[in-house]
Amino acid sequence: MFIHNFKYALKTLFRDKMLIFWTFAFPIILGTFFNMAFSNIENSEKLEIIDIAIVDNDEFQNNELYKEALKTLSDEGNADRLFNTRYVTEEEAKQLLEKNEITGYMILEEDTPKVVVTTSGINETILKYVVEEITTNGQIVESLMDKEINKELSSGNYNLYNLDYKKIYENVLEKTQNQEVRITNISNNNLSYTMIEFYTLIAMACLYGGILGMVAINKNLANMSSNGKRVSVAPTTKGKVIFSSILASYITQLVGLTLLFIYTIFVLKVDYGTNLPLIILLGIVGSLAGLSMGLAIGTILKTNENVKTGIVIAVTMLGCFLSGMMGITMKYIIDTNAPIINKINPASMITDGFYSLYYYDTLDRYYFNIISLLIFSIIMILISYTSLRRQKFENL
Amino acid sequence: MTVFKTFLKVLNKSKLPIILYTVILVFFGAFNIQTSENSTSFVASKPDILIINKDKEEGITKNLIDYIKENSNIKDIESNEEAINDALFYRDVNYIIYIPENYREEFLKGENPEIEIKSTGDYQASLAEMMLERYIKIANIYEGNIENEEELINKINETLSKQTEIEITSKLDTDNLTKASFFFNFANYSILAGCVYVICLILSSFKEEKISKRTIISSMNYKKHNFELLVSNSLFAIILWIFYVILSFILVGDIMFTTHGLIYILNSFIFTICAVTIAFLIGNLVSNKNAINGIVNVVALGSSFLCGSFVPLEWLPDTVIKIAHILPSYYYISSNEMIAKLEIVNFETIIPILKNMGIILIFMMVFIIATNIISRYNRKIG
Repeated sequence: MFIHNFKYALKTLFRDKMLIFWTFAFPIILGTFFNMAFSNIENSEKLEIIDIAIVDNDEFQNNELYKEALKTLSDEGNADRLFNTRYVTEEEAKQLLEKNEITGYMILEEDTPKVVVTTSGINETILKYVVEEITTNGQIVESLMDKEINKELSSGNYNLYNLDYKKIYENVLEKTQNQEVRITNISNNNLSYTMIEFYTLIAMACLYGGILGMVAINKNLANMSSNGKRVSVAPTTKGKVIFSSILASYITQLVGLTLLFIYTIFVLKVDYGTNLPLIILLGIVGSLAGLSMGLAIGTILKTNENVKTGIVIAVTMLGCFLSGMMGITMKYIIDTNAPIINKINPASMITDGFYSLYYYDTLDRYYFNIISLLIFSIIMILISYTSLRRQKFENL
Repeated sequence: MTVFKTFLKVLNKSKLPIILYTVILVFFGAFNIQTSENSTSFVASKPDILIINKDKEEGITKNLIDYIKENSNIKDIESNEEAINDALFYRDVNYIIYIPENYREEFLKGENPEIEIKSTGDYQASLAEMMLERYIKIANIYEGNIENEEELINKINETLSKQTEIEITSKLDTDNLTKASFFFNFANYSILAGCVYVICLILSSFKEEKISKRTIISSMNYKKHNFELLVSNSLFAIILWIFYVILSFILVGDIMFTTHGLIYILNSFIFTICAVTIAFLIGNLVSNKNAINGIVNVVALGSSFLCGSFVPLEWLPDTVIKIAHILPSYYYISSNEMIAKLEIVNFETIIPILKNMGIILIFMMVFIIATNIISRYNRKIG
């Protein structure tokens, strides 16, 4: 009986086109959209070479300080290149700015630089910043020169006429330029926050699996379908029938999840971290949480199947929303301001589990999520169990 | 009126999804649109920085912290390493500076102590790093020349305080225009999902075999029937559009009362009509009620993701933008982006926007023709 029912439950599930669309195809389609939309975000946030213009007037030509500094910063061979610089007349610079071809331009008037931009923004801030830096460097050199000259003069070896200005200048310049700044970056390499989107996608697929469990169990409930009436009068153990249906839907769900994993890993190149067994474990436990949630919703509520499906979808989408599917910062906002919400939200447990595998080296947080998911599943299963056992209907 | 009454009945049944699409729009609109003052003077971008100071906050260490504070938004995050790492991952901070123990002492000895940082590697983080490097460079240079700490600090601050004069040419209220664009770009999803869902649902209710048979044998002229159906669907779309326009006045504010606002509204109107034609096409292609939900999601989410409704166009990969050219949403959204950048509104400057509107009109024609061909084909089969 077990095998028989299992076989047919599996067949009915796989033949339900709408069911297969929502649990198998929809996550894959959504994942493809995510990939198209998000694949470039992080690259666009990196500092790119900024297009600027310099007004090439006589004053600029005579000012070695700015000329040299901007030349180095715009040099194509320089690894720290910051600018793509055009040397133009003031009129041309204005036009370029108007056409949005440059971020801004710099003009030297009476030895003081002026920066002209269209709006406030990060590129504009960087341009202003760099110009300021060049100016201060000039001042530093000047003030150090004064000091050195005074030192040399007071040492009595030189007088104002035989002083080697050039040598002093070079010394000072070398001193200012060869300053080593000792900054060490200790941040983790896995900082790609768009990965969270794909983790919420897996969470969504896991919880959508609940629809499968719900549909399967509905076929065995006397108050839900005529099939259920027949099952309940049949002389077989209810436990066997129900358990085989649940197992069939769990397997269907895992097949869908496997397809999604294969697609996201090989086609979309999603990075789940390196610990494959733990990734699989999280997928299996996450699906169990989805399945048990579907069972609980399917057994407690006494409405028709469409409403139940709607409720599973609504709960799933709400959970995914809170764990960052529609805006990654949402998860962080909840995690920091109302952590309890995400501690009882299965979508967030799954997302956070993948996140901790990806970002953290330690596994404490991962196991915390796994255990939370198991506890969630057990509670859901107990709820379904209590409402399923000893069900009796006087009339239907 | 019979048709219209039935229309209202079906509409009443499907009010929940429409409310849902609208709530999503309002929520995201309000979430991303915070009121800010119109500023025509230059405001320097400030990265979000977290400083973890293990040294005493005195002398040169204090000065470093003060300098960073002045030029950035200092974040206050509880000092446990996990919370800090989370904050970095979710971009709550761009840059974290760990000032080591005895920093001041070692620095004054000329040992150039090492500073550890964590960085998100984006624009803001690069700016933060430029800031920190600049300070350390200047401090190091003077450190070799000035013995007295107080004098050293004064000298550093004097050097750093030099500001470059900056001039802003644009008088546009960029902030508020960006918000308006954001709202109308997002409305692409709500309008499309709302129209397609409702219209498909209504068409499929009318196309149910029993009902359509009844309609055909009734005394009502089929032209009148179709006309009423068209009018009531369009009426629904227009009411939805008016509602979203009113929302934009509430959420975006004053800027909607300018010529820019008017162009936004006109643009969204044309797009709404286009959404109606898309809905009619889909409604004629699909008759299964259960399938509608799936199709709505794929069509609305697809064109929203591909055309820059959720993620700005400039951030999308080039290939995606190329694909997006075959969808009407792309022209609607790129018009919105153009409006935000319009310095002067005159006939010459709005030509590209008019062109986009023209393209949307062509799309509408194509959809109408396709709908007619399909419904004719279906009728022959029937």
